[in-house]
Amino acid sequence: MATGNPIEPIHQFEIVDILPLGNIGGANIAFTNSGLFMVLTVAAIGAFLIFSSAQRAIVPGRWQLLAEMSHEFVANIIRSTAGSEGMKFFPLIFSLFMFVLFANLWGMIPYFFTVTSHIVITMALALLVFGTVIIYGFWRNGFKFLKLFVPTGVPMYILPLVTLIEVISFLSRPLSLSLRLFGNIMAGHIVLKVFGGMVVALLAAGGWAALAIGPFVMAVAITGLEFLVAALQAYVFAVLASMYLNDAIHPGH
Amino acid sequence: MTDPRETKRTQRDGKPGFTSDLAARIKRAQGEDSPAQAAADRMRQREMTGLGRGFRLGSEFVAAVVVGAALGWGIDRLFGTTPWGMIILLLLGFAAGVLNVVRAAAEMNAEAAKLPMAPSVPDDEDEDK
Repeated sequence: MATGNPIEPIHQFEIVDILPLGNIGGANIAFTNSGLFMVLTVAAIGAFLIFSSAQRAIVPGRWQLLAEMSHEFVANIIRSTAGSEGMKFFPLIFSLFMFVLFANLWGMIPYFFTVTSHIVITMALALLVFGTVIIYGFWRNGFKFLKLFVPTGVPMYILPLVTLIEVISFLSRPLSLSLRLFGNIMAGHIVLKVFGGMVVALLAAGGWAALAIGPFVMAVAITGLEFLVAALQAYVFAVLASMYLNDAIHPGH
Repeated sequence: MTDPRETKRTQRDGKPGFTSDLAARIKRAQGEDSPAQAAADRMRQREMTGLGRGFRLGSEFVAAVVVGAALGWGIDRLFGTTPWGMIILLLLGFAAGVLNVVRAAAEMNAEAAKLPMAPSVPDDEDEDK
């Protein structure tokens, strides 16, 4: 965080090597700040769930209630989008939801790195869901899974075209899933940084310093909005992931 | 959690015990939304904010176009059919993008219709249906 202009809004997304681990095939392998915050995210989730469920009280305390509510929240998402059969994917969806949520919330702390602001991370998460859909879809339905691409009630002469469009639409899912999360988080953090930078620049401009209150108020308001977006995007990611898994369980509509 | 022994004990005593009106209380509690369900409803309502809706539709559309273009580019490279693969698949990508947007919008409308207090989705004036 020492190099470059700290007011520059893109600066916060810079990847910094913390612990170089050497070269593999010319690629630099290192433990980066992104890796550090992924470890912190997983550690925070683990600590939260282990400590809150350690009591195993029948009448839950505050922390246990929080853990039970997050369980019920994700379980409701899956039941409403993929039915009770989708509950076998509960571990996957719950992990994705908690990872995205905690990574986003870590990112809201000033000077902290936001893991989900890099499309590599969100794309990896989306491809995990996409791969699960394809593998489970073929494993469960065999070649009937391909019915997903052939809508019913379409005349023969136009069917190849429609099928091709359906295939492209299917392939676009991991991209739209990852693009949305990455876009929301990155855009939000840039906007925050731009308003913060305006405050600094106006304060440094002598007589114009009184105007700095405007961007300052905006930055405070957008911080609130970003907390909402952080939770919302985790929710949207979980909903869409379970909707896609629903297609693997019940293809053909 | 319902302890059958306790129920028996209260019956023997003839006094109303802890479990006497349990069935009624469970019924009452089930009528109310569980806190998690209520939170899910609130979140669903928030997804209908303009920002969320815009991002959803935009990413659905752009993703399909990009995938179509990438597929066409790959086919051109593999079979040397430049520029036809890219032209055709880019156009198909646009079609798939429109399909994605229509589906996402239909989904959102269905969600919005389910919520009693949901704000009505602004509609085009020149739409007949």
